[in-house]
Amino acid sequence: MNPLLNRRQFLSNTGQGLGGIALASLLGREGALAKEDPIRPKIDPTKPFAPRDGHFPAKAKKVLVIFCSGACSQLDTFDYKPELIKRHGQPMPGAEGLKTFQGDQGNLTKSPWKFKPRGQSGKMVSELVPQLGELADEMCFIHSLTGKTNTHGPGENFMSTGYTLDGFPSMGAWVTWALGSANDELPAYVAIPDPRGTPQSSINNWGPGFLPAAFQGTDFNASKPLRNLTRPAGVSAKSDLATRSFLQRLNERHLEKFPGDTELAARISSYQLAARMQLSVPEVTDLSTEKASTLKAYGADDATNPIKAGFAKNCILARRLLEKGVRFVQLFNGAYQTGGEGVSNWDGHKVLHQQYAKHGPVLDQPAAALLRDLKQRGLLKDTLVVWCTEFGRMPTFQKGASGRDHNPEGFTAWLAGAGVKRGHTYGATDAFGWKAEKDVATVYDFHATILHLLGLNHKRLTYYHNGFERRLTDVHGHVIEDILA
Amino acid sequence: MNGRAHSLLIVGLTANLWAFAIDLEELPPPANQVVDFKKEIWPLFQKHCVKCHGPDQQKSGYRIDIAELALEGGEMGEAIIPGNSAKSPMIHFISGLDEEIVMPPKGDPFNAKTVGLIRAWIDQGADWPEDVGAKAVDRMDHWAFKKITWPVSPRFMHPIDAFVKVRLESKGLEFNPRADKRTLIRRLYLVMHGLPPSPEEVEAFVNNPQRDAYSKLVDKVLASPRYGERWATHWLDLVRFGESHGFETNRERIHAWPYRDWVIRALNEDKPYNQFVREQLAGDALGDPIGTGFLVAGPHDIVKGQSPELGRMQRANELDDMINTTGTVFLGLTTGCARCHNHKFDPISQQDYYALKGIFEGVKHADRNLPPNDDTKAKMANLQKRVGELKAQLAKFIAPAGQGKRPAVTAQHNIDPFPAVEARFVRFTITRSTSSQPCIDELEIFSGDKNLALASQGAKASSGGDFKHPLHKLAHINDGQYGNTKSWIAAGHTGWVQIELAAPARIDRIEWARDRQGKYGDRVPIGYRIEAGLKEGKWKTITSSADRQPFKSGQSAKPVYAFDNLPKAETERGQQLLAELQETEQQLKILHNSTKAYVGTFAQPGPTRLFYRGDPESPRDAITPGALAKFVSLKIDAKTSEQKRRLALADWIVSDTNPLARRVIVNRIWQHHFGAGLVDTPNDFGRNGVAPTHPQLLDWLASTFVSDGWSLKKLHRRILLTQTWQQSSRPHAKALKIDAASRLLWRFPTRRLEAEAIRDSMLHASGVLDLKMGGPGFSGFEVQMENVRHFFPKKNYSPADWRRMVYMTKVRQEQESVFGAFDCPDASQGVPKRSRSTTPLQALNLLNSSFVMQQAGLFAKRLQTDAGAVPQKQITRAFTLCFNRPPNDSELMDATAFIKAESLPAFTRAMLNANEFLFVP
Repeated sequence: MNPLLNRRQFLSNTGQGLGGIALASLLGREGALAKEDPIRPKIDPTKPFAPRDGHFPAKAKKVLVIFCSGACSQLDTFDYKPELIKRHGQPMPGAEGLKTFQGDQGNLTKSPWKFKPRGQSGKMVSELVPQLGELADEMCFIHSLTGKTNTHGPGENFMSTGYTLDGFPSMGAWVTWALGSANDELPAYVAIPDPRGTPQSSINNWGPGFLPAAFQGTDFNASKPLRNLTRPAGVSAKSDLATRSFLQRLNERHLEKFPGDTELAARISSYQLAARMQLSVPEVTDLSTEKASTLKAYGADDATNPIKAGFAKNCILARRLLEKGVRFVQLFNGAYQTGGEGVSNWDGHKVLHQQYAKHGPVLDQPAAALLRDLKQRGLLKDTLVVWCTEFGRMPTFQKGASGRDHNPEGFTAWLAGAGVKRGHTYGATDAFGWKAEKDVATVYDFHATILHLLGLNHKRLTYYHNGFERRLTDVHGHVIEDILA
Repeated sequence: MNGRAHSLLIVGLTANLWAFAIDLEELPPPANQVVDFKKEIWPLFQKHCVKCHGPDQQKSGYRIDIAELALEGGEMGEAIIPGNSAKSPMIHFISGLDEEIVMPPKGDPFNAKTVGLIRAWIDQGADWPEDVGAKAVDRMDHWAFKKITWPVSPRFMHPIDAFVKVRLESKGLEFNPRADKRTLIRRLYLVMHGLPPSPEEVEAFVNNPQRDAYSKLVDKVLASPRYGERWATHWLDLVRFGESHGFETNRERIHAWPYRDWVIRALNEDKPYNQFVREQLAGDALGDPIGTGFLVAGPHDIVKGQSPELGRMQRANELDDMINTTGTVFLGLTTGCARCHNHKFDPISQQDYYALKGIFEGVKHADRNLPPNDDTKAKMANLQKRVGELKAQLAKFIAPAGQGKRPAVTAQHNIDPFPAVEARFVRFTITRSTSSQPCIDELEIFSGDKNLALASQGAKASSGGDFKHPLHKLAHINDGQYGNTKSWIAAGHTGWVQIELAAPARIDRIEWARDRQGKYGDRVPIGYRIEAGLKEGKWKTITSSADRQPFKSGQSAKPVYAFDNLPKAETERGQQLLAELQETEQQLKILHNSTKAYVGTFAQPGPTRLFYRGDPESPRDAITPGALAKFVSLKIDAKTSEQKRRLALADWIVSDTNPLARRVIVNRIWQHHFGAGLVDTPNDFGRNGVAPTHPQLLDWLASTFVSDGWSLKKLHRRILLTQTWQQSSRPHAKALKIDAASRLLWRFPTRRLEAEAIRDSMLHASGVLDLKMGGPGFSGFEVQMENVRHFFPKKNYSPADWRRMVYMTKVRQEQESVFGAFDCPDASQGVPKRSRSTTPLQALNLLNSSFVMQQAGLFAKRLQTDAGAVPQKQITRAFTLCFNRPPNDSELMDATAFIKAESLPAFTRAMLNANEFLFVP
């Protein structure tokens, strides 16, 4: 089906406002800019989560984002820099008088973890994440990402919403607004916070911004159930059912007075959908049906490390959601709530070695098992996996500390699965891993590429708000063609 | 973004550096002939350039097919310098000699001959005949910018109805019949108050046969303070009003609420809209200063970091928020679009944007102390008088300064030596602090070189009360760690802390400080005594502040009173007076702080500079403060005081020469009545916005509104008395087919209530709604007071939570756990029109949340109280409370059977979830 809506038809259909207002400028300027016209998703208000076609066919149907909150250091994970090891302990050329987020620089400092060649590609990955390293042949690395801010909140916003400010729609909201979901008994977009709590920008990472609230991420994880999902204590199943059917009768009688009113009808069907979710969400979050071998593979049975076991369960939950057809899953590793500044997230300013030694194992085995499991079950064929963080860290240690300061000038993310090259590396930072140097890419480019992989043209996926045709990529972004399979 | 690379490029492009970018000798020479633009040049532009620099695209903001624009240049500056082709950037680009930019980038390049022709054309003055190329669009030629003439009503009826009717007739539609009286009163209350009417009000209206019953009801509804509360929500959405700072730490903004109250009050008092606008931009100059809360109602990044670039970007973003919000809210113009380049559609240049920046450049996010109101003033005057009396009486106790005394207390370190004494207990009693509750970072009790007070030495600390804060704990008093973050603070303004040593010892010295790291100089204990004893209670004063010189630190240098060496009665009297003085001063301070509000602070700024492409790292020329040059000259300049700048802008916005402000506000009011505005893009009346469905009606409303003295209440009244507003909302198939959304208003458009109205209506139904107005709000969250605040939805609710939702503290980035899902914005961005989605999560929240379950229980109790034990009576009462109508027979039968089979609370739970309860009828 051609998802391009007839403009006039669209104008007559703005009552629900789900598809967004008609492009105002078109009224006066028919014909102009035709090939960059916005493409509005056609949304049935009674079935806002029904699957919808993208702008063009694409391999990736679903997205898993693994977001390492706190700014995970590229230099201690995936960006191998022999020159940094060689010049360890020396001042960094070009950094004289440089002040980064927390201030002055100390000397260049190599990673406390050794790097080793991995897989067929021989990709150098550090011992901090050995199991992920073993999957390097599945991954497509981008080493030359650049951000716009060196502060966590705005940085998380930028990575998740394309704007450093609060209040813009998250990538997942854009994607589910455009594409709906294959499963209407589960939320189309699920955000899975770390067992330690929420990331720094909290719900702005999965917020709807100015898109309709229907497309916000629903947040729950393996240990924290979806709020208000279960029937209240003291209400029996029978009574609950009877109440709903009484309510339905009230609503149907009321609808008789408003024949053809879609908003009223939509509200009736939302209660039916809610009832189905009450069955399907507990089912998907119930990990008891998982085999012991699966729990073990993910590390979900690791009694010695409850945080890792908690994250592993979230990883299993992510797989189960993707299996069920959920469109967009955003899995967080690291939280601000229980300490921040490196204690419970990747923000290793002061004692990086000690803190990352805790975080590495929490991430490594569960995330690697998830990737392996997705592959084994054939889910990677239509699932795009995105590993990212808000920005990178400096090759120097901070003056007077044993950790790295923020660095938005060059950092790493990787993609895997549907539509991307395997065992591939794109772009590079300078000799020390400070600034992106080769094939410099922006977060906008990164977003444009992810949308492209899903069959969406980032320039045409727009929503009119406050005088702007807003996009995930603002007015920037180019698809990184080189990484497309 | 790679900002650095960006700015390098920019330097390379600055016009006078150009000449050095390439070797001019290598340029193809100009053609040696007189050039005919139309025949020789224009075809070249069309062939090579127009695709990217023409009507469809204007790459780098440059358009070459219109003479004015081609000569004006693009984002990189001018491309053609008439008379000087060698210096014209266009020639550099098309010659292929510039390393960075070659034009055209792809396809057929220019050759030496064609470059030579263009050079000759430029050198000969770049003459462009009028009949060649497209014509520049006059961007001022747009309906919304045109003067308003008062349109004449096209029919002999209420002009509003007449304008609507004409449009309906053109589509073969007509008005629905008038809604029945029950529907009408319910709609009136829901739209105007966000609360349903009481069953008693409904009955009175339904049974009132007077012809003017409805118009009297309208007057009553407009006179109710519930009106201001309801409509303030719309305004607060629009101006992104929040009570936390947003961004990373999302700290609370505790003095933001006065602005919310100011809006409610202004609406209830029907403050003329022009004054309402002026006070929000410059209320400090107009005697009602709280309105300027508007300027700083948006998010504010308080995490500053060390890098200066970050600070400059944050400041630029703050000002952008003010520029953009002012433009969209009052003018319906997206002024923010001109931050990086001229506005793509509207007559707003980048210079205009920075001229506006000059208006706000002196505004900073902060609390401001406001002049107290008369009541507070009187109280303060009384207290001040008492302070004077007390000080006079205490004068004789003032310790002689200086001479022979020990050094004054310092914040950083104090030593109190004394002749050695045997002690097990040491108590440090604070009688006075420089400001608020006193703080001590570490108390050390020495015996020679050894500090015996340490907890690690087995000493135990106790106190008369601790200030509750995660950083400040009793344990910090003897943990061996210095600094503010490891300190103890007393619960009150006086207090004591005590150390019990592990064993009796001979001690000879106490050392203590407020903050040995020297960062903090407040909360210094300056009146104290140190007592010691072998048993608790058997105290002997071993040293005190009495023999110290008076504390000096900026303004807190207050007289030091000494009561030693005086007769006992006199000492007691003196101490009593001092205690009263301290108490009185404290009360004064509380009153003083009660006039704090988050309404911004103002300071005369330095010059405002244009930022090239919006990049604060690329400042350019200084810009004179002003507004939109195509619309107005404010007649101010860089020397104008920043207050006068804001006032000048405000005065123009509401002046007769500006048709936008009045059109924009009447459209907003219309929108909140009918669910959609006459202009569907309420924040964009520019060329990129949607044209009005009823342009004459819009102008009629705007004209009438101004002639009514900018009275919002009169405007409401006019709208409420129309047939358009009073018609039934019942849909019918024929009209649905033509105009499903009822944009032409053949029926009153029904819609789901907003989050606030749903919550308020529930509390109203259950009978627990607390109508207390104003003051600090109540919280929807349990707040974890860490550096980065975390908000956890409340699980239990008590009567304090049962005020109207407009008084719920508005936390950015968080959704209220039950009602947030009903498209309730989080104030991160201004919202002129809420989206209205229907989701299963909304259903789950209303069915299962503890809030709704509790209300269902309270509602059931209320029904028993109001209607007794008979289900039919309970059901009737519930229907009249929730739907403003009695149940019909089948509903009554169904509900009776349901209550019998289940329970009354099950019935009330269903009622609170019903569509009829949640929809404007």
